[in-house]
Amino acid sequence: MTRFFVDAWDPAYGASFEAGGGGPAAPSSAQVDADVELPAVDWRAIGVRRDVLAPEVVLLVDGVRRIDASLWTAEEDGGSFPGIAASYAAGVVRCDLERGAAELAGARVSRGLFTASPSAEDVVAGRVRYPVHRVGGTGELSKLPPAVQGPLTALEVEVSNAARIDGDLLVVDGPLRSRRQLPRTLGYIKTQHSQYLDARLTAVVTGLTPGQRSPVFRLGTAWGGYSWYLRLPVTSGAPWAGIVRVECSAELTDAQAIELADLSLVTLPRFASTPYKDPRAPQNLIPIAGLERRLRGLLGDARLLHRVLTAAARGIRR
Amino acid sequence: MTDDLLDGPGEAVGRVLGTADATPLTFWTAVSPGSYLQLDDVVVTRRELPDREPVTIAGVVTQVRARHEGAQFDSDVFAIADGTLPAQVQEAAEVTTTRVDPELYVPPTPGAVVHRAEGDARARALHFDRMERRIPMGMGRDGVPVYLNADFLDGTRGAHVSISGISGVATKTSFATFLLYSVFRSGVLGGDAVNAKALIFNVKGEDLLFLDHPNTRLDDATRAEYARLGLDAGAFPDVRVYAPPRVGDSSGTPDVSSRLTGVDSFYWTLSEFCADRLLPYVFADADDERQQYTMVVHSVAAHLARYAQPADGGVSIDGVRLGSYADLVDHIVEQLNDDETRSDWAGSAVGLGTVNAFARRLIGSKKDLGRLIRGDLATRRPHSINTAESAQVTVVDLHNLPDRAQRFVVGVTLKSEFERKEKAGTAKPLLFVVLDELNKYAPREGSSPIKEVLLDIAERGRSLGVILVGAQQTASEVERRIVTNSAIRVVGRLDPAEASRPEYGFLPPAQRQRALLAKPGTMFVNQPDIPVPLCLEFPFPAWATRVSEAGRAPSETLRSITQSADPFAVVGSGTTDDDIPF
Repeated sequence: MTRFFVDAWDPAYGASFEAGGGGPAAPSSAQVDADVELPAVDWRAIGVRRDVLAPEVVLLVDGVRRIDASLWTAEEDGGSFPGIAASYAAGVVRCDLERGAAELAGARVSRGLFTASPSAEDVVAGRVRYPVHRVGGTGELSKLPPAVQGPLTALEVEVSNAARIDGDLLVVDGPLRSRRQLPRTLGYIKTQHSQYLDARLTAVVTGLTPGQRSPVFRLGTAWGGYSWYLRLPVTSGAPWAGIVRVECSAELTDAQAIELADLSLVTLPRFASTPYKDPRAPQNLIPIAGLERRLRGLLGDARLLHRVLTAAARGIRR
Repeated sequence: MTDDLLDGPGEAVGRVLGTADATPLTFWTAVSPGSYLQLDDVVVTRRELPDREPVTIAGVVTQVRARHEGAQFDSDVFAIADGTLPAQVQEAAEVTTTRVDPELYVPPTPGAVVHRAEGDARARALHFDRMERRIPMGMGRDGVPVYLNADFLDGTRGAHVSISGISGVATKTSFATFLLYSVFRSGVLGGDAVNAKALIFNVKGEDLLFLDHPNTRLDDATRAEYARLGLDAGAFPDVRVYAPPRVGDSSGTPDVSSRLTGVDSFYWTLSEFCADRLLPYVFADADDERQQYTMVVHSVAAHLARYAQPADGGVSIDGVRLGSYADLVDHIVEQLNDDETRSDWAGSAVGLGTVNAFARRLIGSKKDLGRLIRGDLATRRPHSINTAESAQVTVVDLHNLPDRAQRFVVGVTLKSEFERKEKAGTAKPLLFVVLDELNKYAPREGSSPIKEVLLDIAERGRSLGVILVGAQQTASEVERRIVTNSAIRVVGRLDPAEASRPEYGFLPPAQRQRALLAKPGTMFVNQPDIPVPLCLEFPFPAWATRVSEAGRAPSETLRSITQSADPFAVVGSGTTDDDIPF
């Protein structure tokens, strides 16, 4: 086993992720087909369709990750690679709106040691095991946290598949990315980084009132697909307040995508959170927030894990 | 930690939780989904120890709580009920340890499986297995009998019962009579049960006058409950009821309204009053003792004892025949007012003011005591209360006597009973004395002849076989030495202000709160064996507690009492052939 050292810095300092406020900053170069539902010239806000009923069961999937320790390996040749010991968990909430019961339908916790070190082995710290996930490239520290996303997404797919039933709706927190093949699935994007629409169409989006959506449009990017904007119930009058982007698989037909868009409009607003309870309100949905709290609890105590990792590192050195 | 079944406990109901401190004396248990624990449930868990036998820790649930895990704000409950916020309902129970076996005070390990204690495990947890003689007291909250250790009732290791609770809802008297029934009928006293006696003072209504009448409202469910306690549901078999004579009735018939048969009247003759020095009990108010005239009381009592001669029911003093209490009082007052005889009666160094204070109070007692101290009734007529010669249960009715007369009867009866037991010198047969409103007879402040007798019973009664079953609304107002001498303390519904007093320190906080809303029939019983008071419900009385419930009177009561005999009945009619034919 390669020797490694646990960084004395609290891992939180090395993992501050982009905190987005306001609206999309950078215009996107992606091709947009705005004529899917309405011709671009006719774009206007769309309200709730009376004949659409919310599904009885809504599944919401999310994952959390935490870096338990940053560490350095000591290679034979005297070199060193950075590494992170990360814990991540994925879970599904089944919101049975008929019965009025939200329950954790499944949760999985996994851990891993992410490093580019060729000689790294699994770290066993007490009763906890961190299997090695070898990262390609030079493996500098800043590249390691995004590397956790892959296994986490795989874990999310695994737990959500186990919880699905007929007639439900699966809401995935974040872009769909590699989950396009899942049926009746929506990607739910809280933070708008890119501006996909031109100024005139953007004015339609920012002009939405709570509970309205924009017409469906289609993105031409590699991960593209059908997408639409939706404004959640919000009191603030800021242009992008409460706006989320929802996407669905590009493999669907236009009609199916529009049907899902109508379904999202009757489903999502009731999950919107309240500002005084959640700093990311209303976009951070209530079930997701609750799920994240539960998942963080399942990750285990960070101080304890840091302690056993430090003890394990010391044990190997001796 | 092993999860295997301990020997004999019931289903697993949860695990010791680790988010709150687990101590050897109290710990919290997380209740597993699909199970429940309620207050007073008995649970047991086990702690493995290196190179020692495992420690079994048993306890009683003293608090239960449920909460939403995963909710941060109070209003989250609406989101949870709406089905949008995932949360888990988690119940947890606080367990107060009752027994650690072997006695190695280690905390249970968080995560250890907690079992509901059933059967032998429950009996062990509540120390019933160590009780050689167990008196059933009622049902626990789990519907299984709970017991009292007879050793702490009959004087072997302790004695006396103190029952506290609000009047009306606390059912103090009913519990006291049920306890007596259980003592007499459960067989724990063995051969002594036959000779054991009970003396019950009935202070309110005519509730206790029907102890020997079966209860007509007794149903099969209650009978089954008695059976589960190992008792037959029935009335007290052997009861004698005494009532004071009617006011102004020269024939001395008992003053009762609802019970018409089998009641004897009790009174004292003037010669007994003088010879036994009963005068101090006329001044049995705690206030009286602080006054100067107590010297006069004792001096007059001594004079009466020395000079009064029995004379045909009444007494004669200095050649004057006195035929009633009023005559006696008038005579004493007259003698005290006379300068020549005053020093003979009251002593020489007593001021006139003191003598007048005595005389004033003595005259005041005429109305109250006139019917109890008689000189006009036949001397040989039985009239005294003597438990040794009476039935197993002797009920003395005081309810329509004025306060001063109640004190006189209680004081004199207890004194004579205690003196009789003192003379006998043995603890057996036992005498149970049931006295309600103990705070009136033995108040915390002051002193009186009755309080002295009660203190004597509390402190020496255990060795003499006199067991005091005292009831009071407020234990804080009763003489401390009487309360502390009671091995068994019982609490029914309490007044909120009263419950916070140190006298109820034996109740854990949760039980103290529960005592404020205890239903009639629910009691908390603390006995020296068990560190936690047990909550129990005793069954509905199988005997009548009022005239409307009374079934057919037992035949003995009809036969023994002359007043109730029908003078026109044809003698021998309807009886067996063994009777003498006419």
